[in-house]
Amino acid sequence: MTYRTRLTARSALFAVALLITVTAFAQGPARPGMPTEIASEWRLDSNEDPGAIGGQGQPPLGYYLGIPFNAAGRMRADTSAESIWGTPEYGCRPHSAPHQWRGLGGARILKEQDPLTREIKAYHIQFMRSLDWPIYMDGRPHPPAWAPHTWSGFSTGEWVGNTLKVTTTHLKDGYIRRGGPQTSDLYTMTDFITRHGDILTVVTVIDDPVYLDEPYIQSTTYTADLTGTTATENCNGSEFTENGGTDRHWVPHFLPGQNTALTEWLKNEPWVPEVASRGGLETVYPEYAATLNGSKKVSDLKVPASKSAITVDKQRSNQSPKDGEVHIQPVQGNIYMLVADGTNITVSAGPEGLLVVNTGTAPMSDKILAAIKQLSSSAIAAPTPNNCIGVNCPGTWGWAAPFLNTVISSPAPPKPIRYVINTSAAPEHIGGNQKIAAAGFFPRTAGFGAAVDNIGRSALVLSHENVLLKMSAKVPNQPAIPAVAMPSDTYFDEFRKLPEYFNGEAVILYHAPAANTDGDSLVFFRHSEVISAGNIYSTVSYPVIDLANGGTFQGVIKGLNKILDLAVAEIRGQGGTWVIPSHGRLSDTGDVASYRNTMTMIRDRVQDLIDKGMTLEQVKAAKPTMDFDGRYGSDTGPWTTAMFVEAVYKSLKEKK
Amino acid sequence: MRRVFLLVAATMLLVGAAAYAHHSYAATYDTAKEVKLAGKLMQFSFKNPHSYVTIQAPDAKGAMQRWAIEWAGTSQLANRGITQDTLKIGDEITIVGRPSRVPGEFKALMVNLKRPSDGFSWGSRPDDVVD
Repeated sequence: MTYRTRLTARSALFAVALLITVTAFAQGPARPGMPTEIASEWRLDSNEDPGAIGGQGQPPLGYYLGIPFNAAGRMRADTSAESIWGTPEYGCRPHSAPHQWRGLGGARILKEQDPLTREIKAYHIQFMRSLDWPIYMDGRPHPPAWAPHTWSGFSTGEWVGNTLKVTTTHLKDGYIRRGGPQTSDLYTMTDFITRHGDILTVVTVIDDPVYLDEPYIQSTTYTADLTGTTATENCNGSEFTENGGTDRHWVPHFLPGQNTALTEWLKNEPWVPEVASRGGLETVYPEYAATLNGSKKVSDLKVPASKSAITVDKQRSNQSPKDGEVHIQPVQGNIYMLVADGTNITVSAGPEGLLVVNTGTAPMSDKILAAIKQLSSSAIAAPTPNNCIGVNCPGTWGWAAPFLNTVISSPAPPKPIRYVINTSAAPEHIGGNQKIAAAGFFPRTAGFGAAVDNIGRSALVLSHENVLLKMSAKVPNQPAIPAVAMPSDTYFDEFRKLPEYFNGEAVILYHAPAANTDGDSLVFFRHSEVISAGNIYSTVSYPVIDLANGGTFQGVIKGLNKILDLAVAEIRGQGGTWVIPSHGRLSDTGDVASYRNTMTMIRDRVQDLIDKGMTLEQVKAAKPTMDFDGRYGSDTGPWTTAMFVEAVYKSLKEKK
Repeated sequence: MRRVFLLVAATMLLVGAAAYAHHSYAATYDTAKEVKLAGKLMQFSFKNPHSYVTIQAPDAKGAMQRWAIEWAGTSQLANRGITQDTLKIGDEITIVGRPSRVPGEFKALMVNLKRPSDGFSWGSRPDDVVD
């Protein structure tokens, strides 16, 4: 009965929010071009977070009431540790998007208008611990799936009557509620923002099928605060870990079953049945109460579950689409990411030519070359605008008024590909070497005229020497790889830097020993602030660990930590150094930290099971990756979850 | 029905008045336990959203560890006259804290701090809590 009361209370709060929304609709549609004014300072009033229980609005561990968890979501919540805030990568992150509405400091809503037409181009929402959150009203499309995710995501808005409907995609993984319940990075958020006099009601729908059996709905209420000012809290990131110890790569988490605090709060709230406190689709509905007195079984309940609008497999595959096309994604500085039929290629384009990291699969070579040529023509060879007027402008040959050159000159020919770097010998890294290296030109001959000499005309192909050994090994019934496709220069120690700047910056290859294979490299573009991560980091699958070719799971984690050691966020744990995975979307430190955290948790779980004496089959049966399988796992294809767990097990067992 | 309205109203009032930390203390620290540390101050990071004190002190097995002790934010400490110069590197201090819930983590939430050399202390007044 008490639980029903609780449910009724929560339902009542939501119903009030809905009722107010409906009432607002009843006032009639807004006049075209005259939406409700929502720009103001807003003071946080109320929401459904359990302030009365956890103290100061901080939910206790294990408080999952009202969350339609699936089993993975519950496991993820149980094993996550709030100490993750103390890691260097997360110390300054803002609240996750669903919780931003509920953080200390209220909200500020600004509107951005076209100065001529007065049309609203965007709303901007700011919270104390957020960056600016733009909501575009101009009809622009959402970015492609391979574009980066941020803490606030990418939002577009439309007025539906007097309610602003905001659709947000491209969100980083975070949390629904503090103290455990997490989201994946595939979730979308839809906010319905309605003003009624001085009250602003925000109803938020969180759609995350990785962890939820149906979308989760929350509401938050604000009051207009005309004398208030939404403060900005500076976050002074620390050089030392806030979690103590001396391991800067420490990832706090609980092993499955280790988090004994999940039911502590029930001692003070004995009227809540433990089974209901664990959340789940059925527990969200009033019908669930009948199961508590034994009159019904949970399996017999028929609840009106809402369907997710997201297909997880499609969301994942869209980040690295196998569509037979090459898509160009500008990154930063000299660097571009080519999304090429399931794999990514990194290109540095500048006045000295092109440097290509990995060459895609062989069948895609022509299209990749065409994209590189397009990039070379548009990014390098196009006439540059002239900002100097008069005969004294430096550096220009030809007309006294040098801007004429930019008008009448033909574009310079595309610059050649100077370097090809292979981050491993994986087929999608070397498949296009033959055509792409042959299309390039690295000057090898000394003396006058070398630039037009055709001796050894091809790009310089650079890799770790183990890549060369792998490529040159004889494989029965397969033709040898031609010399032009082979690495023509290799390195064997911890790093190799190009001897001089290329396109105005240092380019450094770092060896990741015994990672996916024994020959993996990371490529760091030091001025552009971009890392090409090869196969060490992926946003679409668990890391592929090739044990037969020297790979280990521990090496992958070390490689991920190396990326995090090199990378620096621009602000609040996002942006700054960009990371290009071989498979998946463009990423930053926050994304790599999430992946590293995931792999570290899996390592510790599997190691714990090994320490308990479990065999491989027993470890597989224990499902140590269950809460991440929906995001990274697969039951089919060339790299299944079972293969991954086996590789992790063998890596740890052999203690390489 | 009356209970329903009271519950909703109480929730709204409490949440409205709450000062949120960026993470949940209840989830981060075991507030039913205490850890007592005595050692040398290695770092005092006077910052927002929370300050941190790092001391080198032995763990339960006697091994020296770097402990990170989460303290209040700058405004709250400033209200007690504490500035970034209040603590000096090398100060011998004692700390009572709430330990992290995560096994193996050398971290705690400040309950009180004392510096025997001059009698400086924090944690003795009712409002000396980290919030």
